[in-house]
Amino acid sequence: MNNITLIPKKSSKIPIEAEAITPDNFAGKTLEGIRKLSVYIGNGVHDLGEFFEVTGESTEVTREQSIIVDGDVAHVKYIGRGMTAGEVMIRGNVGMHTGSMMSGGSLTVEGNTDDWAGAEMKGGLLRIHGNAKDLLGSAYRGSSEGLTGGCIVIDGNIGSEAGSFMRRGMIVVRGDTGNYTGLQLNGGVIFVFGRLGKRAGALAKGNGGFIACYGEIEEILPTYILETTYTPTFMRLYLRELSGKLGLEEATRFIGAPLSRYRGDMAVGGNAEILLAQKG
Amino acid sequence: MSFTHNGVLIEDTFAEAFTMWGSRVIITAATSKWAKTAANTITGFATSVISCDCEAGIEGDMSEDLTPDGRPGTSVMVYGFSRGKLSESLLARLGQCVLTCPSTAVYNGLPNDQIDEMLDIGKSLRFFGDGYQVKMRMGDGWSKQRRLWRIPVMEGEFLVEEKVGCKKGVAGGNFLIMGDSQDATLKAAEDAVEAIHKVPGVITPFPGGVCRSGSKVGSTYKFLKASTNTPFCPSIKNTIKLSKVPEGLNSVLEIVINGLNEIDVKRAMGVGVDAATKVKGVRWITAVNFDGKLGKFKLGLKDSLGGI
Repeated sequence: MNNITLIPKKSSKIPIEAEAITPDNFAGKTLEGIRKLSVYIGNGVHDLGEFFEVTGESTEVTREQSIIVDGDVAHVKYIGRGMTAGEVMIRGNVGMHTGSMMSGGSLTVEGNTDDWAGAEMKGGLLRIHGNAKDLLGSAYRGSSEGLTGGCIVIDGNIGSEAGSFMRRGMIVVRGDTGNYTGLQLNGGVIFVFGRLGKRAGALAKGNGGFIACYGEIEEILPTYILETTYTPTFMRLYLRELSGKLGLEEATRFIGAPLSRYRGDMAVGGNAEILLAQKG
Repeated sequence: MSFTHNGVLIEDTFAEAFTMWGSRVIITAATSKWAKTAANTITGFATSVISCDCEAGIEGDMSEDLTPDGRPGTSVMVYGFSRGKLSESLLARLGQCVLTCPSTAVYNGLPNDQIDEMLDIGKSLRFFGDGYQVKMRMGDGWSKQRRLWRIPVMEGEFLVEEKVGCKKGVAGGNFLIMGDSQDATLKAAEDAVEAIHKVPGVITPFPGGVCRSGSKVGSTYKFLKASTNTPFCPSIKNTIKLSKVPEGLNSVLEIVINGLNEIDVKRAMGVGVDAATKVKGVRWITAVNFDGKLGKFKLGLKDSLGGI
């Protein structure tokens, strides 16, 4: 891996739109070329080099390109948008739309993210060590599909409407979720190890999608029906994957835990599942 | 021509083996007992394609840390003359013998780099769910993509991989053990099978891995396509003209080996012969072939011992 390090020089009250910060855009460019990449403030076009000190070494191959954003960039939006390969590491908080529409590679945030992180993501791994605000891994307004692939792991809490219109892929929340998690879920899986917020799975159609909750739950929508409490074999595969591939050690504690299977959302004739781990 | 190994005479000949399509499935269950029960059931009546729909056997037990779901498992291999026949056999056997067996789940056991074709096994079995089956999608866009089906059953759910890999394998690796008594020959055969089961990638489809009634092509009866291998029957060795049972030897047992590739089968033959020749009373080892006219593979006994 060849590293390019970006150190924020100054902040901005108006957010900086920096979708140029991806391994795809950096690979094959000189440091000067990277500094000349365009970022936007309002309707103004600026050079990336105005806001970041750029050091390191680029590579011709995108998948071998690593970018380290060394500092707090809560005022910077769209980092990693549409990236297809390589690695991005953000050592601080970051703004909206981080990793949105990415289709490969890995993006790690050591701090918190704002709204729309991983929105309409197609592939790759987005890992957030802090909290994420609303609409994590969701569909943009007017779009019929949210996450269609990839994996998002959040160590902290998330806001509302995470995984709305989700079709494929996986979202793992180690903390609590806001309301309407998995709104209109139509495939894909969401794991919650903290508290699952209200109205989870509202209007979910199913298509093999489920929300598994291993923590507390605020409520189950009355349009979900309790089928049974059982210990399905398939969940062992997921929990082993969470532990083995994503390093979520707590997942192994729940292997073999009985789950209550709720099916819905009957309001839309859905066949999605909410699986609630039984205590004790 | 012959040579000796562990003091036993071995005919310098070869086993003639054929191409068959093979697959490996991993069956897991709540306990090792139920995994073995399912494996024993699915591999029943699958000794030879002379009269069975396929040839099948247990490759070995798998510990919890080696199976996809972390439960005890058993690795089973099934061989058929064509992809179509293999698919039919797998579907019928998994449907009747494993789907019905409490707590079991079925996974593809062939690594991607060894697979020639994929068979729609879970994809077909899913219809048993009568519309309530659930497709399980794993790894989309970030890890190895995997598709399985969750089929509701009275006990809970049956989990089966959507597709099972198959490849062109080798069937009919063999050797014959001849001894001066039935007891010595049986002991040698048991030891050989035990040694063979330590070789990955092979099965011995006959009962306990041993065949006491090796067959020859055709018979004196027009309606029978295979009959007892008269040249190797000690009880008529002085009655028939071309007996191949040497003087003083009174029992013959055959070990038949199917495997995923020629190297594995040859290696299994070698370790089997080596184990058999360590038993007192074993005098002669040979192999069955058709003068090289029928099978694609010629697995020499001398070669096989060189590979152990």
